[in-house]
Amino acid sequence: MVVYLRSGGRLRERLQPDVDQYTRRVEVEGAPTLREILDTLRIPRALVAFGYSQGTVRRLDYRPADGETITLQPPVAGG
Amino acid sequence: MYGFGGTVLRINLETGEIRRSPTPESFAREWLGARGFVAKTIYDEVPRNADPLGPENLFIVAPGVLTGSFAPCGSKLGFGCVSPLTNGHADSNMGGHLGPEIKYAGYDMIVLERISPKPVYLFIDDDAVELRPAEQYWGMGSLDLEARMKKDLGEDFQIATIGPAGENGVGFACITHDFGRQAGRCGVGAVMGSKRLKAIAVRGTKSLAVHDLPGLTKHTYDIIQRTKPHPNMEPWQKYGTALFVSWANEHGCFPSRNFQTTYHEGWEGISGEKLAEEVLVTHKACFGCWMNCGKYSRARIPGKPDTYLEGPEYETIALCGGSCGMTDIHHVAYANYLCDNLGLDTMSGGNVTGFAMECYERGIITKDDLEGHELRWGNIDDFEHFVGMIAARRGIGELFSHGTRAAAQKLGRGTIEFAEQAKGMEFSGYDTRWYSAQLLSYCTADIGAHHNRSWAITADIELGQDTPVGKAPVVIYLQHIRPLFDTWCCCRLFWGELDVTPEEHVDAVRHLTGWDITIEECMLTSERIWNLTRAHYLERNGGPGRKHDVAPLRQLEERIPTGPAEGRKVGTENFEYMLNDYYANRGWDAEGNPTREVLETLGLPRIADRLEKLGLLGKPIPGGIPKVRGQKLKPKAM
Ligand code: SF4
Repeated sequence: MVVYLRSGGRLRERLQPDVDQYTRRVEVEGAPTLREILDTLRIPRALVAFGYSQGTVRRLDYRPADGETITLQPPVAGG
Repeated sequence: MYGFGGTVLRINLETGEIRRSPTPESFAREWLGARGFVAKTIYDEVPRNADPLGPENLFIVAPGVLTGSFAPCGSKLGFGCVSPLTNGHADSNMGGHLGPEIKYAGYDMIVLERISPKPVYLFIDDDAVELRPAEQYWGMGSLDLEARMKKDLGEDFQIATIGPAGENGVGFACITHDFGRQAGRCGVGAVMGSKRLKAIAVRGTKSLAVHDLPGLTKHTYDIIQRTKPHPNMEPWQKYGTALFVSWANEHGCFPSRNFQTTYHEGWEGISGEKLAEEVLVTHKACFGCWMNCGKYSRARIPGKPDTYLEGPEYETIALCGGSCGMTDIHHVAYANYLCDNLGLDTMSGGNVTGFAMECYERGIITKDDLEGHELRWGNIDDFEHFVGMIAARRGIGELFSHGTRAAAQKLGRGTIEFAEQAKGMEFSGYDTRWYSAQLLSYCTADIGAHHNRSWAITADIELGQDTPVGKAPVVIYLQHIRPLFDTWCCCRLFWGELDVTPEEHVDAVRHLTGWDITIEECMLTSERIWNLTRAHYLERNGGPGRKHDVAPLRQLEERIPTGPAEGRKVGTENFEYMLNDYYANRGWDAEGNPTREVLETLGLPRIADRLEKLGLLGKPIPGGIPKVRGQKLKPKAM
């Protein structure tokens, strides 16, 4: 199946977008978790705070559906 | 002059005398605004032995070059003085709308001198500047007073206030504006209170002259168009900073129970999702911002009145929440409200209360000290009573009202080992035992342990969490770039989150002012300010510098007992290694004193002379100073 990952900021460099400036198309086997997909792409888990899709936060144990687009959010300081 | 209001205002609070002078363009270009204006002015004018809460300290209000321009997010306003918490240079800034209003009234810096014989507030309506009686407002909470003054003066005035904590000289009292934007750190609210200045109310209706209006318009329009579809925009708008509570727990840097450990059991109850589900009312934005990361919330606790507040942000959740053992988002929100209305910084306020809770747990303070109350982890009633004692400086509240370092020095019994502070400033909401670059950031910062100077957590991940190698140059780079935003006075979140580059902010400055300024010049300005505030700190507190760059023993030698970072500590040897590397990369000597060569490179020869006279000048470094200080590893990791 196919998952689309999007990212800006520091993560974009790691993600290496290929669809547009933020988005990478990733083909995966089975129904992996977000964490497993990050491992495949060699993106350190610690650099991803959470995923976000359809207005909802997705933790790294989330299993994206075929064709789903997930935004990866890096950790930040603030407040 | 383009981009500035054009006038420096000086007000003698003792005599009521008001003086105006044109803002020198050379001064504006050399120091850029806010943090830079403050650093230069207090260095030049405040006697080194002046009591931070006495008449000789200055209280400065200063926007920056980008404040009030329609360059992206030019919302910030700086406040500055000598800090009662650290006894060094202090600057603290807030967003909201007051900074632009001051600029539209025509002012680039307001310097308040001496002490008013009676409570007053500063009233500015363009050219009309008055000190008005404030006896009727004295004693009121910050939030309550802002609402009252909006009624008294009109909604179109922008207002900053202090609460009882500021009136009473609590070392970590803050200044509040826009019902929840704070200049929180360094005790700027205490200095404002020491002047008997209860509030500042401003209406400004003038225009800001722009050198290249079409250029600035296009520049901003392009950035708006580019950032609107940015992937980070929607989660930030929806949740703000609170979403990082989960990450900080999963990665072992969330302070739990006064930083005893770094994984907080029950963090889900105070997470960003809980905030959005249970307390969030609406979103808020500062002037000129389309990200609106601010969250306006309602706390509901049975038996207490419903309260409205802005926040809680990540830092407040970490320090009033995790560090005080709370597990209910309504309780954290209520704690946020209490601190805001009393006029206490939620970061130092939460940290100090967590520290006191640990003292209570260990039997170092008892119910007798607490007017018959307890001080239990996670208990909101205990929290409420205790912060009330601090704000009033009542009983044992007096002892804690000067921060954890001062309290530990009085309490003794080894309490200093778990007082999580550097230079007297309480840690922000990140434990550093697995994040040594962040510890270095805290301990070397001019104002003490505040993440706005350098947030190096992702740098630690990129460079390796278990090594001290390579951390120092990144920290120095961050210490120049991050506070630059507090000098320009625009929000750094557009850089960190939306890929608006520092170079683009410089482009905005160029369009606005007509200056041929570059990012390299701005970075040099930031370094100049850093060295100036270091010199100021040494002149006030003695040398060598190294003796002030000290970490709490808990962070160095106490292993994290639980959670994902279990067993980690920084280690004294590693910390000393990083300090040596840091000084060498700054061009300071091994004792942490700035050298003549570095000061002269930055255009500060007079300061080198002065340090030399005082025996505080660094010894020349064999081989000379590094050519590019702090930019060796201009990092992917920011
Ligand atoms: S991103 Fe948040 S803090 Fe920054 S200007 Fe916008 S609302 Fe203010």
